[in-house]
Amino acid sequence: MIRIALGMLQLTGLCLFTYGMNGLSEWLGLNIPGSILGLVILFLLLKFNIIKLKWVEVGGNWLVAELLLFFIPAAVGILQYKDLILGSGYKILIILLTSSSIVMICSGLLAEKLATRKEKAEKNEDAVFLKSNN
Amino acid sequence: MKTLFFLSLTISIYFISKWAYGKTNKIYFSPLVIAPLVIIMFLILFNIPYSSYNEGSKWITALLQPATVALAIPLYRFYPILKKYFVEIILSVLIGSLSAIYLAYLLGKLLKLESTLAHSIIPYSITSPIAMDVVNLIGGVPTITAVFVIMTGVLGMIIGPYYIQLFQIKSDIAKGVLLGTTAHGAGTAKALEIGTGAGAVSSVCMILAAIISFIISPWLMSFIL
Repeated sequence: MIRIALGMLQLTGLCLFTYGMNGLSEWLGLNIPGSILGLVILFLLLKFNIIKLKWVEVGGNWLVAELLLFFIPAAVGILQYKDLILGSGYKILIILLTSSSIVMICSGLLAEKLATRKEKAEKNEDAVFLKSNN
Repeated sequence: MKTLFFLSLTISIYFISKWAYGKTNKIYFSPLVIAPLVIIMFLILFNIPYSSYNEGSKWITALLQPATVALAIPLYRFYPILKKYFVEIILSVLIGSLSAIYLAYLLGKLLKLESTLAHSIIPYSITSPIAMDVVNLIGGVPTITAVFVIMTGVLGMIIGPYYIQLFQIKSDIAKGVLLGTTAHGAGTAKALEIGTGAGAVSSVCMILAAIISFIISPWLMSFIL
């Protein structure tokens, strides 16, 4: 019960923080969405110990765990472009599928090569760390 | 009343599919695959315009921003790893983002896509608020770009794990790069499912891809036009 109340409080805090970041970005004329600015600033605040992890952890983890839920209305929004999809949908699909496949495979394989090379070079204390967190 | 109905409809379909996905681990039960499909069918069946659905669902979309901010938490927890592999990550994302932009441009030309669409599809692989800014600069339609971005997210969630298996990608760094560079937020959700480490890498890649595309977009404009 206390955990739920705490989570709700943190959730509200994160919403207000995001709202503030949107304002800040606009005020500074930054052209960056408040969510991205907020992500970077919250990270820095955590990193420099100005905000403690436990102040945001419960509510923040809720949000992160249900991330997909927040994309659903946007995905339903494709409905508004029914004509576009029916008209050029196959071309769009070919482009998106081909290019994302190539990009995924190239960037993934490159990162795999680079990361394993580094791991091998430095022995694998990190690999153990990563595995234990899965 | 309607607001509350569409809100609870979306949330309940989401949790049902999440439960079914957890039980079966079948990709078509993944909440971002099945839930939009079911809701779209529902709206078509009862002849409900998207605008009235969105009266309720916009409250869900509103949480996307704070959820993105909350990605700072895995980032903070995995900072030592991210710092250590930063060069590897940024190099992979740079190659990935540049080829994503070039390929979309090239394929659009090859398939003779109509020019507004061809411009709007270019930033398909970056997170939608920034994609919409980029497309404003290069002369596309932001709302259409948003559709391409979400389509890429859904596609990426489906095919990403398949490629991870096919190419036997083992490191969490590479898994995160593969998903975050192309499939942005949705890919990051998938990466978090694989592990918090991969999720943290993926969110970094999502940010880097957005920054890279944003920086090169003025140059891109002269290249395309």
